[in-house]
Amino acid sequence: VWEVNVMENTVYIRMRNRIQANPDQPVFLKDVAQIIADETVISRLEKLKIYQITKEDKNMIVIDVMKIISFMKEAYGNIEVQTIGPAQTVIEVIYKKRGVSFPLFVLIWFLLFFGSALAIMNFHEDVSMQSVQQRIYTILTGKEVKKPLLFQIPYSIGLGLGMILFFNHIFKKRINEEPSPLEMEMFNYQQNIDQYVIMYENKENINKLHDY
Amino acid sequence: MIIKILIVIFIGFAGGLTVGAGFVAFLVVLGIIPRLTQLSNTVNKIHSYEWAVVIGAVTGALATLRDPSFSLSPLFLIPLGFTGGIFIGMLAAALTEVLNVFPILAKRVGVHEKMIPLLMAIVIGKIFGSLFQWIYFVDR
Repeated sequence: VWEVNVMENTVYIRMRNRIQANPDQPVFLKDVAQIIADETVISRLEKLKIYQITKEDKNMIVIDVMKIISFMKEAYGNIEVQTIGPAQTVIEVIYKKRGVSFPLFVLIWFLLFFGSALAIMNFHEDVSMQSVQQRIYTILTGKEVKKPLLFQIPYSIGLGLGMILFFNHIFKKRINEEPSPLEMEMFNYQQNIDQYVIMYENKENINKLHDY
Repeated sequence: MIIKILIVIFIGFAGGLTVGAGFVAFLVVLGIIPRLTQLSNTVNKIHSYEWAVVIGAVTGALATLRDPSFSLSPLFLIPLGFTGGIFIGMLAAALTEVLNVFPILAKRVGVHEKMIPLLMAIVIGKIFGSLFQWIYFVDR
């Protein structure tokens, strides 16, 4: 009888990695965690209010699992909480979706356009691309030319094609589920931000020495 | 005399070893071969690709050192230039400096939906810069 009782009172929670929320939105337990519990408690647990997003919050909030457990213990003294997975949830507060204005977009576009044009020209000068191409021309044909355009124009087109090939899936069929390098880079960047926020926004993670 | 020759051979060999290892390390860091196998779904052919790189590097080394002459038609330069361009293009795309720009643009400037046009800006910029250099810039 005792063992059955224990089973009934065990609650399993798994914190979600990151969630998005609106400003001024109340955050409930079901928003930040997956819960497995007995039917009698689960509906009430899901509606347990964890946090109220206010104007003072910036756009990242970290909810630690310890805080969740203390809330749950407060609400139900006799439950046993088992946690699985991440120890905290990062809440990203989404303020009004700011679309980028068209002139700004055009500006960025030309910034990247001329920037990469200049970069490739500097690269070519740096590695003496022209003289290498002239020598390749001479080796293959036995003739000397100043501008081996027959090599250089296909080269320039191939340059762009190679970049597209690297970034994107020209073979749109998606042979496998692997992400593209760009998607990986976006993911790593987001992951780093989250790691940073988890460390520094979550006061519980840092225990500074007090200066007396 | 023999000693001198042996020392020169040794130094040349050592230099080649270092440059070859460095070249392969460079390719490995940029991850072009894995990307190509991922695109073409030919992971099992990876050893042939290794040999392609090695033979290509040795051929290039021989060509620059020995200056052979083949008297072929200039048309052979077209596929050579094209494939060489694709390779350099992949190198340029793989450089992390290029890749790192995008997450920051997306997060900071908020151009999440316009990633493809901005990617094309870089691609077209490279093509334009390259053509401009070969056709016009080198004469100035």
